[in-house]
Amino acid sequence: MAVQHNPLWTRWFHAFDALVLLVMAGSGLQIYNANPVFGGRGGATFPPLLTLGGWLEGGRFWHFGFMALFALNLGIWIGLLLQRRRRHLAKIADLVSWRGSQNLAKRRYSAHRLIYTLMLIVLGFSLITGLAMYKPVQLWWLSGLFGSWQILRIFHFATVPAMVALVVSHGVLSWRIGGLSLMRKMAA
Amino acid sequence: MGPMDADQMDADQTSGPGLNRRQLLKAGLGVGGSLLLGGCWADGYGEDVANATRPLNERIEAWMQSKGPGPEFPRSQVRPEELLINSFNGVPALDPARYRLQVGGMVGRPLSLDLAALAALPQREMIIRHICVEGWAAIVAWGGVRLADVLKLAQASNLGGYVYFDSADGYYESWDIASAMHPQTLLATHMNGEPLPAQNGAPLRLATPIKLGYKLSKWVTAIRVEPTLMASRKGYWEDQGYEWFAGL
Repeated sequence: MAVQHNPLWTRWFHAFDALVLLVMAGSGLQIYNANPVFGGRGGATFPPLLTLGGWLEGGRFWHFGFMALFALNLGIWIGLLLQRRRRHLAKIADLVSWRGSQNLAKRRYSAHRLIYTLMLIVLGFSLITGLAMYKPVQLWWLSGLFGSWQILRIFHFATVPAMVALVVSHGVLSWRIGGLSLMRKMAA
Repeated sequence: MGPMDADQMDADQTSGPGLNRRQLLKAGLGVGGSLLLGGCWADGYGEDVANATRPLNERIEAWMQSKGPGPEFPRSQVRPEELLINSFNGVPALDPARYRLQVGGMVGRPLSLDLAALAALPQREMIIRHICVEGWAAIVAWGGVRLADVLKLAQASNLGGYVYFDSADGYYESWDIASAMHPQTLLATHMNGEPLPAQNGAPLRLATPIKLGYKLSKWVTAIRVEPTLMASRKGYWEDQGYEWFAGL
């Protein structure tokens, strides 16, 4: 049976998003392992399965190598969503219908919009906290907003579990709405 | 979880549109399995990624580097316990009475400075954030002489673009001259108002807000101004693959 795919560029952009986020998260966890944010030296580290780079500088190569792509990706994403904000960005009404609407479709679309919007906020936050640690001398005013280096590190790291939670919710919701057919439209 | 989802998509893409559920499941399992090896497989490409993105990153860094001095902090924010100790080869024993700092290479006037001569130069204290490549940081008060003052005293040549540092423990480093001449780059003899402790690099170490910790040699005994950067000898960690410029 022929599948009616989403436009090619949508599918490519979606795959590109996933790849960039995967690289940034994996290399970020590799860097984390050099001195765990929680526990410092002797703190628990992530297993190699979840890390990218193999060693600290390898992780930095990937992380800084992809940071420009990450920023570009996020910029395009925000641009696209702003352009179609009425369909894709969450509004207060979405919170209301997500919590209480009897209309299943409406509730799901609201949940989708909430997830997209939260993803952008989390990724924007990850870019800001990342820049604050990458160039703390020139961007001292940005780094200074976070109070201490440890708080900055915690915030930057926290965007990883936050994004994992959002990506999982996004996947579960998509499966519920469109099942295998939607997966094929987007990914195949 | 997140990584799995994403890789799954790549696999689906390569498998083409004519998938049935069983094929999809197979592809998923295949990717799940190959991710175990795939992570390690991709690890080896870090250097290629670095080489591909270095020109852009260095352009951004150079553009940012030229802007003003690094931030300084109030003394109340100094946290001595946050400054961790890193050394590749223990703590060398240096006799302060016999200590000399040699300054040579492309200089008009080679120097051999003892600690009294260094103390006679203008002193400066700065409270800055010391940032390690590992991710941790500590706010430290460093006191000592400006490296720029010592290089000027030695009449360092304008043709010397690089400064090499040798340490008593065998550690070695090389810097670009602009970073060495930065007004906040010190040859520190004091830390947090006290004479520098042995494990922190006594009697003399580098301190600056504009470089990562591994650029900040401890137990410095010799400074050489050089016209070129020796590709095979850029620094102890750099020669093992770490970034040379390491600017903040």
